[in-house]
Amino acid sequence: MIQFLLKRLAWGVFVLYVVVTLVFFLTNAIGDPASATLGPRAGAEQLAAFRRTHGLDKPLGERYLAFLGNLARGDLGKSFRDGVPVTEVISTRLPRTLLLGSIVLLIELFVGLGIGILAASRRNTWFDTGAMGVAFAGISAPSFLTGLLFLNYLAFRLGWFPVGGYGVTFLDHVKHALLPAITLAILGAATYARIMRSEMIETMRADYIRTARAKGVSAVGVLFKHGVRNAMLPIVTLMGLSLTILVSGAIIAEPIYGWPGMGRLAFEAITALDVPIVIGVVVVFCVTVQIGNFLADIAVAALDPRIRLQTDRQT
Amino acid sequence: MPSTRRTRLNEQVRGFVFAAILVAACVITAMAFPDRPTGPRYEGAGGERRRGGTFVFHHESDVRGFDPHISFDELSNIGIKLMFDGLLDYHHDTSLYPRLAEEMPWQSEDGRTFRFKLRRGVRFHNGREVTSEDVRWSMEHMLDPKIGSPGFTFYTQIDGLDEYRAALTALDERIERAGNDANRVRALRRERAGHHISGIRVLDRYNVEFHLKAPDQTFLNAMAMTFSYPVPRENYAAHPEDVARHPVGTGAYMLEEWEPGVRVVFKRNPRYWREGEPYVDRQVFELNLNRDTAFMRFQSGELDHVHRFSPADYLFIKQARRWRPYLDEGPKVNLWGLVMNCELPPFDNVHVRRAVAFAIDRDRWDRTRAYRLEPTGQPIPPGLLAHDPNLEGRHVFDLRRAREEMRLAGFPNGIPEPVTLWIGESATGKVYGELAQHDLERIGITVELKPVAFPVFLQATGKPRTAQALITGWSMDFPDPSNFLDILFHSRAIHDHDSENKAFYRNAELDALLDRARVERDRTRRAEMYRRASRILVDDAPWAFIWNDTKLEAWQPYVHDYSPHPVWDEFYRDIWLDLPRRRIARFEARSFATRLASLLPLPRGDRR
Repeated sequence: MIQFLLKRLAWGVFVLYVVVTLVFFLTNAIGDPASATLGPRAGAEQLAAFRRTHGLDKPLGERYLAFLGNLARGDLGKSFRDGVPVTEVISTRLPRTLLLGSIVLLIELFVGLGIGILAASRRNTWFDTGAMGVAFAGISAPSFLTGLLFLNYLAFRLGWFPVGGYGVTFLDHVKHALLPAITLAILGAATYARIMRSEMIETMRADYIRTARAKGVSAVGVLFKHGVRNAMLPIVTLMGLSLTILVSGAIIAEPIYGWPGMGRLAFEAITALDVPIVIGVVVVFCVTVQIGNFLADIAVAALDPRIRLQTDRQT
Repeated sequence: MPSTRRTRLNEQVRGFVFAAILVAACVITAMAFPDRPTGPRYEGAGGERRRGGTFVFHHESDVRGFDPHISFDELSNIGIKLMFDGLLDYHHDTSLYPRLAEEMPWQSEDGRTFRFKLRRGVRFHNGREVTSEDVRWSMEHMLDPKIGSPGFTFYTQIDGLDEYRAALTALDERIERAGNDANRVRALRRERAGHHISGIRVLDRYNVEFHLKAPDQTFLNAMAMTFSYPVPRENYAAHPEDVARHPVGTGAYMLEEWEPGVRVVFKRNPRYWREGEPYVDRQVFELNLNRDTAFMRFQSGELDHVHRFSPADYLFIKQARRWRPYLDEGPKVNLWGLVMNCELPPFDNVHVRRAVAFAIDRDRWDRTRAYRLEPTGQPIPPGLLAHDPNLEGRHVFDLRRAREEMRLAGFPNGIPEPVTLWIGESATGKVYGELAQHDLERIGITVELKPVAFPVFLQATGKPRTAQALITGWSMDFPDPSNFLDILFHSRAIHDHDSENKAFYRNAELDALLDRARVERDRTRRAEMYRRASRILVDDAPWAFIWNDTKLEAWQPYVHDYSPHPVWDEFYRDIWLDLPRRRIARFEARSFATRLASLLPLPRGDRR
């Protein structure tokens, strides 16, 4: 098990290194952060001073090595735009995206799994067809479009939700998070519903279900204790992967709703060419995705003894 | 197996039926949805001017910082105008009035000395009183070459400035050379701090005098620019790196909270020197809010002022009757036109230039840009001294006259070689290019467009004998005709690179006139001089003067005493809020259920 963890860790660090290197060189290739930050009216003296303070006047290779050194010490540098340490910016923004993400996950699981189980147990009924149709539409709907539609119709015209923003108190935050969370949850919930349904149908055909029934376990008991638990396995793997989708979705949904989290930070930093922030966000996203996958692996192993044995033998 | 086939058929039928239901549901929902509100959702309670409330405004991008010595953009200035005050300021008609100064400065007979008398009892946010020493320190700090303030160019007329900057630069080099010798560096630093500009003299605690190299009335405008605003030196010492994030001024509001990229909150300055002001307790500046969301939030009453619109929203609000009292669309103080290089053929011929000036169909340009332009035909924008709507000889669209000028120029059948027109790379830049192309084709001038990126555009058009013609504009630094005419048409503004006189227009008579107008103290005589300069310019036509940009702004009914300021964008310092606000029921969109019912074919009296 420890060997397995170490291997995963090493692999994660390697992926992080590759991603960060790519981002470093790409962001340095697309433009001049000095004039992007200071604006068109800045004088040559100001531009030179800016480049000096941020070390942009040094050769690229030297900057890269310095950057890696700082990164290894956990120092992500300071924002070009306002000189605030990147870690400080991220520490205010990340909890908000996590709040949004957890609401999304809750909606996805409750709605997605609920619909999936119900559809499977009422196979080929009107409910089944309807639910799967809606799920299919949900998978097809791009969140930048649904986001704008929801904002315009549900928030603006009907007034059921606030029109974007973040609010002041915690309850306010949750209220403001609902609509972006629904927008982001559509894709996940729809995917879970479809997969859960087919897994359930598959599982309920298995021999051990028949055995359980024969032993006199109640219908509900069979459904949840034997059916759902076994059908959950692929869902758990998916949940790990869905962190990736959450992260990339946040970049689209957060700016639309003005939710001041990591996604909006990424969007704004990229448009403003604030390189240290962009890299900081990429590091956090990269780590999040790795953790997600790792947790999924562990969870699957915990749910299914066969898989744990296999990974142990492999490593 | 027939049963299976039937099941599959059933399934397919069910799928189709379901899809149909889904589509129908979508259509009905869409039709039944409430319309967007056509007017304000809230109105004020009515009553006297009073204190209290929170005012929320926004911008599409992020603010860079609030250091009046450095900041030179719209967003920073919004906050700077809330937190700082200048010696002089502008009324809404662009005339100057004393703000931190007790009265307009005394001027010597030769027009080279200005004496400012400070108001007593004005305090910085940190509680310390503002004195003439602060005025001098602030000016010297802003003009320190190490600060690199973009405002430097507006103060070059101060006596002793060049010596001051040279001395500091020399000292900086010595400090650099001294390197590790800490004692020596300290001594040199002390020497550096002891340097003063000889043209700025502190007379006593409240009187400070500025001495200029030559008489210049625009110095008063310079003293109303944010660069000259007094700041407390102790704050700059406390935050040597990031003073822009820790603004301390004398203004009506103080910084309460700032989350970069998200919002800035300003709170009332309890020690403000104007009794009873400001009226609003708190002002919230929402950053990075895109214009579509902002407009929805505005209509929902979550934002109190908007000033950027998508084309659809722009047309919507301009046609919305109930918004009309809370809208303003005025020309901003700027000038746009087609610039012709007077050193290069065919524009070295004044008749060709005039032909171009009269061939531009300004109304069509305006129409093409959805009526967002204010057509003009003269160099001085509306709102400024000496702008004359009936100026003799101003450029208008007159095709017959344009063709006549082409004949006088010796090109009755047009010009054989095409003319290169430099334009900005953006979509709107190309629109203007094509409009010019179309208009000039009619008088026999073929135009080839050269769209380039902005830095390239600036570089090429500032060099002599490079760009034949271009479309460009100028926004004022301060509201005075000299800020347009001296910069765009004086031969002094021609250089080997970075010329602002991009027409490379030289006229000794105009130069002399502008130089005299700049020092003239009598407003009427000054206006007359600038009117004469305008007449020379429309006649010589180095530019075809085409339009002034306008700006549309809207605010909530409960916001009072706001009106767009010609100099300061989004200037909210003096507003008050008529709270508590009331929801206006009759403007409410109909409920979802009523809308749904209205789709049914039921007999009803009230039908829209």
